[in-house]
Amino acid sequence: MAELTADTVPIRIHRRGMPRWTMAWPALAWWTVFFIVPLLWIVVYSFGSRPGAEAPGPVALETLSFDNYRQALSEIFFRVFQITMRTAGLGTILCALFGFPVAYAIAMHVPARWRSILVFLLIVPYWTSFLLRTFAWRIILAPQGTLSDVLQALGILSRPLLILDSNAAVQLGIVYNYLPVMILPIYVALERIDTSLIRASMDLGAGPLRTFLQVTLPLAMPGLLGGLVLTFILAAGDYVVPTILGGTKGLMVGNLIATQILASQNLPLGSAMAVMLIGLLAGVLILAGLVLFVLQRLLKLARGAPL
Amino acid sequence: MTATINRQPANPGRRLLLAWMVAIFVFLYLPIIVIIIYSFNGGRNLYVWTEWSTHWYGVAIDNPRALSALYVSIRTALINAVIAVAFGVFAGIALARRKGAWTVPYLGLIFVILGIPELVSAIGQMIWFDRLGIFDGITRLSIGHSLFNVAVVALIVRARAEGLGETLEHAAADLGARPWRSFIDITLPLMFPAVLAGLLLSFTFSFDDVIISLFVQRPGTSTFPIYILSAMKAGLKGDVAALAVMMLIVSMIGIAIAAWLIARGGRGRTLGGLLG
Repeated sequence: MAELTADTVPIRIHRRGMPRWTMAWPALAWWTVFFIVPLLWIVVYSFGSRPGAEAPGPVALETLSFDNYRQALSEIFFRVFQITMRTAGLGTILCALFGFPVAYAIAMHVPARWRSILVFLLIVPYWTSFLLRTFAWRIILAPQGTLSDVLQALGILSRPLLILDSNAAVQLGIVYNYLPVMILPIYVALERIDTSLIRASMDLGAGPLRTFLQVTLPLAMPGLLGGLVLTFILAAGDYVVPTILGGTKGLMVGNLIATQILASQNLPLGSAMAVMLIGLLAGVLILAGLVLFVLQRLLKLARGAPL
Repeated sequence: MTATINRQPANPGRRLLLAWMVAIFVFLYLPIIVIIIYSFNGGRNLYVWTEWSTHWYGVAIDNPRALSALYVSIRTALINAVIAVAFGVFAGIALARRKGAWTVPYLGLIFVILGIPELVSAIGQMIWFDRLGIFDGITRLSIGHSLFNVAVVALIVRARAEGLGETLEHAAADLGARPWRSFIDITLPLMFPAVLAGLLLSFTFSFDDVIISLFVQRPGTSTFPIYILSAMKAGLKGDVAALAVMMLIVSMIGIAIAAWLIARGGRGRTLGGLLG
């Protein structure tokens, strides 16, 4: 008979009679019925067409075609798509530039007992109503508002502040709303770094800059990349910020899709646009994975080579 | 030159870094502070500051459409939170205690649910609910909101279960407890802080939601944020700001308690890990 140790017995008893992952089934069933099936319907609808005046329902599925995709690639959609990518891309870069020093400060230069509090302070506004925080910027940036008055009194502006309902306002709203999404993953990566590695690098004669570039930054790379991807995906699919701050001039893909569905009643075209958005975001995700892979390879090469 | 990192001297670089950090925190809280202050602006034009007054709070409370939207929101958020906890807790425990080949694709699905643009998920639900045609407004809203929140609760519970380890369950088994008994008497009570945090977060996320509600709502069951959104589009007045601030306070309290419960269970890392 095999020897029974204190470790093996309870686990065997504990596991007996309980199938491996039954407890995870109800949620999976729920998601399948109300998340996966709806997504498949979007794909089906994107190949449909608008029904005739007398036909019932929002979409005709008798003849399926790529017409909606062709229409979606028309000039206006392509233009808005371009603007969306630019706004989300620039917003992501700005978030990284503004956010990295914050994550670095919290992880490396703040006493440990303060860290949880700062992370808490970072998350609370992010989890609180997106709508209202975005709406508040309309008060701050209003042409008749206090900021506008102050800037004019100081002589910085010669006329009222006219930034609302433009791309610039949308850009600001994007950076503001997604900054915590960028800071947190970077912070998590930095916080995990064993500081003795940094001390070792300094002891071996590397200056602060070289230590940062060759030790800290590579170790923070997974967090940075995670933050970049997450921020870009959320920003590119945003609807609330351009709706509230963009007016008619600051359109993004989200507005265009919502307009097709809610105002123009063109569900097939809106569905096709949604599928294209998802396809593009999936492409970005795959690209980011490839970049991470190549970076890690390069890093290994660099470590092997004398510098 | 050596070991400078230990002593952390007050060098200009470090000061600059900390000043930048403080500036970013001010930036993050500025709109929240501004909207609270301006909700007490007594003037007719919300943007032009005139005087301190609680006038608009009186107007806001005396608004039957806003109150009925608030009622819809609260009912939706409650049903959604119950669904989220009912499914999410078991999924979270399974993710921590029954790891296997299924865990990776399952977590993948969770991240797709959390990462997909809300707009896309909302369109799919609208199509599907319309095709099914069997749910009333509140049910559509509750189910729609719950999908994201089941995933949130699963991750919070998973983090807690992994943080605690399995020692107590093993001890219960040693003492002869059957699996279900140890699950009900040991595992579930240990999950209580995570369940409470999940309940609060689910309620708040639903209460704040705009996009899912915009698409799946039926005539007559508009939620509170949708009411605020349409009021904003119609032109901003002080009563909307007052409503907005009341909503903000409710959700901030919920979020703060939830974040505190999560952070207490597993240090700041769990909190960051939830987003990272």
